[in-house]
Amino acid sequence: MTDSAPPVSDLDLFDDEVLVDPYPSYAALRALGGVVRLPANDVYALTRYDVIRDALGDWEIFSSAGAIGFNPAVNEALSGTSLASDPPVHTRLRATLTANLSPRALRGLKKSIDAKADALVGELVAKGSFDAIDALARAFPLEVVADLIGFTGHVRANMLRWGQAAMQVIGPMNQRTAECFPIAGELYDWCSNVTADDLAPGSVGRGIFEAEARGDIPPGTAGHIIHQYLGAGVDTTIASIGNIVALFAAHPDQLALVRENPSLVPAAFNEVLRYWAPVHAWGRRTTRNVEIDGVLVPEGAKVAILFGAGNRDPRHYENPDEFLVERNPIDHLSFGYGPHGCAGQGLARLEAHAVVEALSRRVARLVVGTEVRVPSNITRSIEELPVLEVVPA
Amino acid sequence: MKIVVNRPRCEGHGLCEEAAPQLMHLDDDGELVLDREEIGEADIPLANAAVRVCPVAALRVE
Ligand code: HEM
Ligand code: SF4
Repeated sequence: MTDSAPPVSDLDLFDDEVLVDPYPSYAALRALGGVVRLPANDVYALTRYDVIRDALGDWEIFSSAGAIGFNPAVNEALSGTSLASDPPVHTRLRATLTANLSPRALRGLKKSIDAKADALVGELVAKGSFDAIDALARAFPLEVVADLIGFTGHVRANMLRWGQAAMQVIGPMNQRTAECFPIAGELYDWCSNVTADDLAPGSVGRGIFEAEARGDIPPGTAGHIIHQYLGAGVDTTIASIGNIVALFAAHPDQLALVRENPSLVPAAFNEVLRYWAPVHAWGRRTTRNVEIDGVLVPEGAKVAILFGAGNRDPRHYENPDEFLVERNPIDHLSFGYGPHGCAGQGLARLEAHAVVEALSRRVARLVVGTEVRVPSNITRSIEELPVLEVVPA
Repeated sequence: MKIVVNRPRCEGHGLCEEAAPQLMHLDDDGELVLDREEIGEADIPLANAAVRVCPVAALRVE
């Protein structure tokens, strides 16, 4: 039993068609097994809910050190970050990261984030037609993150491409990755050179430098913390907000449920995250031979965690391919789970809840054109979503 | 049985409170407070639900 090898599939996880719509491939892999070997990517893919959740909770066997990206250059570049470390080093790094990101730390921001979302949505509803990705899904988180970190000017203008590139380069060394390395490098350089004076007084970014000056965090780490916020937090949040608009447009009955019962706002966001995971694949490496679902994964194996495949596992969620806001799948996998569970989820929730609330208060129905998607290695998001008409509430 | 919080790991996401408001809540500072640490047989399913939803695995029942 324990020496039987995992099933094998010739699927390429980073093929253009798979990236644009991975769900049929996820279903095929899940049907093969909880873990499937993919020679095309030299990885063992984790496909079923329980297998993924167990692996995310078990850092001793599923190590992040030098293992979260799918090419050696990015793993080298990320070494020493919280994302790419295991406890006990990770525990210390994470504490400095979350000091400014925990729901506690962010409580003061809720009012201004809600007000921003409401103003922006109000403006767009009045306009009647707009591109939901550009005018809302990108505009809103970029404004929030710029105010949070306290940057302006050319940095603000560059943040969208920098954030996209930072995720893209986590993929295998394909053309997308190669093209994005120099752009991700611009973000890294800016973060390495930024000083307290470049950031607005009172911003969280400035606060991180003040913590460094007080000796609360080690010298030279402030820029790295800001880099992690921007690298991990921009592209993913944009994806999830675009998904909110697209899914509400496609499922007016579900929007109506939230309109009738505003306490469903958090549940609706959980369901958006479950239904369309913003992160396609993320890496780990096994530290020893491990038996998963009755098959053997060898020590030193590269592992690809498919959050979106686990989120649609019928073993865990009933009718997983239906979008149902009342389901409230609070245990979805899109933020990961356990020691590395998304450090920015409090902020992501603040932003997304503000958008869901504003939309459900002001919009009865959205009439949209065809959504455009382009393949991207790690973040799965909508590129264009024309809103043709808003039926106001 | 009792509920144990891994304090350094708890970040105050508060999802546990949503799952088991009878057993725990976030105080005004956003710190998690266990209203009952020692739990009886009847509360075990509720406590397990809180353990299950904590996104950073900061809770356990032992
Ligand atoms: C909807 C939006 C978001 C999604 C879907 C998302 C997804 C994820 C996932 C799947 C992980 C786990 C990685 C792993 O297990 O190795 C993660 C970690 C992380 N996320 Fe997010 N994220 C989002 C928003 C944010 C935001 C807004 C920030 C910061 C401002 C952020 C910062 C981080 C950091 C720093 C980590 C690393 C934590 C660690 O290694 O301990 N994320 N995120
Ligand atoms: S859900 Fe977890 S992290 Fe959040 S307050 Fe409860 S124990 Fe702490």
